[in-house]
Amino acid sequence: MDLMFFLILDSVALMVATAVLTYYFIKDFLKGKNKSR
Amino acid sequence: MEISVIDYSIIAGYFAILFVIGYFVKRRVHSLNDYFLAGRKLTLPIFIATLVSTWYGGILGVGELSFTYGFVNWIVNGFFWYFVYLFFALFLANKIKRSNLYTIPDQLERFYDNKSRFLGAIFNFIMVSPAPYILSLGLIFNFIFGIELWITLVLVAFVMIFYTIRGGFVGVVYTDIIQFILMMAGFALIIPIAIYTYGGFDFLESALSNPELALTYIDTTKHLTITGTQTTQWILIWGFIAFWTLADPGFYQRCYAAKDDKIPKKGILASIGFWLLFDICTTFTGIYAVAAYQAGLLEVESALTSYLSIAGALLPPVVLGLFFTGLIATVMSTADSFTFLGAMNISHDLYKNVFRKKATDKQVIRVTKIGIVLSVAFAVFLSLLFKSVVDMWYYIGSIGISAMIVPIIFGFFYKGKKSPLASILSMILGSLTALVWVIHGFLNASDGWPVYIGGIEPLYPGLCISLIVFLVVNVIHCRGKK
Repeated sequence: MDLMFFLILDSVALMVATAVLTYYFIKDFLKGKNKSR
Repeated sequence: MEISVIDYSIIAGYFAILFVIGYFVKRRVHSLNDYFLAGRKLTLPIFIATLVSTWYGGILGVGELSFTYGFVNWIVNGFFWYFVYLFFALFLANKIKRSNLYTIPDQLERFYDNKSRFLGAIFNFIMVSPAPYILSLGLIFNFIFGIELWITLVLVAFVMIFYTIRGGFVGVVYTDIIQFILMMAGFALIIPIAIYTYGGFDFLESALSNPELALTYIDTTKHLTITGTQTTQWILIWGFIAFWTLADPGFYQRCYAAKDDKIPKKGILASIGFWLLFDICTTFTGIYAVAAYQAGLLEVESALTSYLSIAGALLPPVVLGLFFTGLIATVMSTADSFTFLGAMNISHDLYKNVFRKKATDKQVIRVTKIGIVLSVAFAVFLSLLFKSVVDMWYYIGSIGISAMIVPIIFGFFYKGKKSPLASILSMILGSLTALVWVIHGFLNASDGWPVYIGGIEPLYPGLCISLIVFLVVNVIHCRGKK
């Protein structure tokens, strides 16, 4: 596999993984907010 | 390097968010458990964000190593560490969580006695000094804004003290989430832009293989090989340094604070994935910086600030602001966590459990707040004294690891009788050996570089003496008691 393809794949994977985790932060946060109400 | 107003605004916005979090987070703190461990309610995503961002503070040092030595940075700052993280996740994480304590010195008291806690707290306080990180932040601000080092140190210290004092661990965790997103986004963006601007593998290979170009003091011809120009001994030393993880208070604190028993193990395993992806980005950013420098396409002030230089040259407005903020966030998340851990050593480990056992929760929180200020003040003093990030890590690490690793590992895994005297003597003599080794190296320095006895780094004799003393004293003391 070409090194550059691997590097771009790595960057994209990092962005996607961060986006997924961010989605769960927001979900957790909203859940906590609803509970406290 | 030109930085636009919008980039400055993004950095200012980041600090404004930290202030807002610091202001509002106090509402979520109702007890000592909330203040110290966020009520032991960390969910899996938050556990991952706070662990990943806190652990990764030495970003400038990583830049320096990947710029100077190339791909081998991934081996010494990544590869070895993943095995130790894996060991921690599989064999330690659940044990720590189930013990339901607060700190590493708590564990030492559980395994040995109160005197071991006392000594452990002092070594822990040294190990979690945020000095290298506060100095890193000072250097980054100095580079971006051109402000004098001492002014930036004081400004950074003020912001950090504000939200850490108000929100305790809750403040640290909430700010870690923002910092985690920024640090990941910053480095994920720079690699594709570097490839687009400079070119792919052919560019790296041709720029790095020509030693006649810009650089004369670094041999870049082996930057793309696994071991680079480094010797096996040099590489293996880092393998030993990775054992720091087993005595890292940040790992322990997050395990204690997790919502249930399964989160620490799952969280560390997921974090390894994030570190792996992130380490590849940081290593190749450094390699691109040195290749562009070699090819005469980039000006670099020093290897330590190479990430800042390549970002300034490559990134368009807004993305540049995000990258700089990501870099600041990477260091800030570690500095605030370490500050808080140092304060807990003072309030929980020393004040509450050694000197004033009947202290109320309110008094402990008050002492923690004083501890935060003391920890930051001590760090600013150390930063102005040493002025080298790598030196501080090296000496703090060598002395701290030599003291802590052996008693902790035996505490968790040795099922037989354990002698408190063995733990105390192992901590004192292990750290003293490393300290004497360092001092001896400096007294015999050549061209400003310490020359160690037999060329052996201080960590090895420190760990050896600590292990031998522990085993011998434990056998003699326990047999004597029978």
